[in-house]
Amino acid sequence: MKEAVSQPFFQDLAVGMRLPTVELGPMDRFDYIPIALILRDTNPLHLDRVYAQERGLPDVVQQGPLNQAYLYRYFTSWLHDPWDLIATKMRFAANVFPDDVLQCGGEILELVEAPAGSGVVNCAVWQRNQAGETILTGEASARIPSRPMSTSVTHTSPAP
Amino acid sequence: MDVDRRTLIGRALRPATYTVTEVDVNDFLGVVDEPGFAATRNESSSSEMTASAKGGARLAPPSFAPFVAVLGLLKTFDWQDDFLFDYRTGTAMFGEQSIEFHRPLRVGESVAISAAISDVYEKQGKRRFDVIEVSFQISGSEEGDRLMSGQQSYILFK
Repeated sequence: MKEAVSQPFFQDLAVGMRLPTVELGPMDRFDYIPIALILRDTNPLHLDRVYAQERGLPDVVQQGPLNQAYLYRYFTSWLHDPWDLIATKMRFAANVFPDDVLQCGGEILELVEAPAGSGVVNCAVWQRNQAGETILTGEASARIPSRPMSTSVTHTSPAP
Repeated sequence: MDVDRRTLIGRALRPATYTVTEVDVNDFLGVVDEPGFAATRNESSSSEMTASAKGGARLAPPSFAPFVAVLGLLKTFDWQDDFLFDYRTGTAMFGEQSIEFHRPLRVGESVAISAAISDVYEKQGKRRFDVIEVSFQISGSEEGDRLMSGQQSYILFK
């Protein structure tokens, strides 16, 4: 199935189209420090490798909201205006660790046309790691503008 | 013996507030580079920033919204008192989050978070766990208009 270009117009979209896939990373453990400060969450699971390994994990765990933020950025950068976002629903399926490389993708599930030709798109969105394991899965919906009407008049010359 | 958390359904959690500060948004943008939402350098004039934000001068990116929901909600409950859960010995994780957006989030604004436990149920995976679903609403604390509403679930392993 065809891929939906970025900043699409409603008329360009069809159910089943894929969103362009984007790769991010590798993830950096030093990013977890400012994220812990923003979230006011100093759980050592995110910051202390020894603590995480004592609990059977290979390394510290990247904060879940950071995984979500990357998937939000992926979807909203596909829109004309990031705040055309209407709703999201995301489920955490697995952990992300430092040096992981993430892949984000999506597919159009539904298109609802509004009177002016614009509409709402509902997409499946996902995030996977380098091993193909699903990290996040869910849906996101957004407003998509209609293709602007051309104001220029095209004159065709008669064939010589 | 397991605690029966179904008795928690309907419990209103304590109201909380959070200010979407320049510092938090700039720190966030230092990690999640967002095209069109560049970090600002001047974090000292917070009142000026707040004023300009009211005029719609600077918006936080939508990718910051799950942070507001997560950290706002963490202020609305106590693990032990509200979820009957000892965070020091137990294991908890996020389940599912759904958000409906009613308007953009402005840098500098304070938001009010109200939440209630809407459902509790037990599930069996590799281990047994309870799912606590919390419904929430986040509003502009001055204007009182709705910013976001949704649900967040927490998984508490038994």
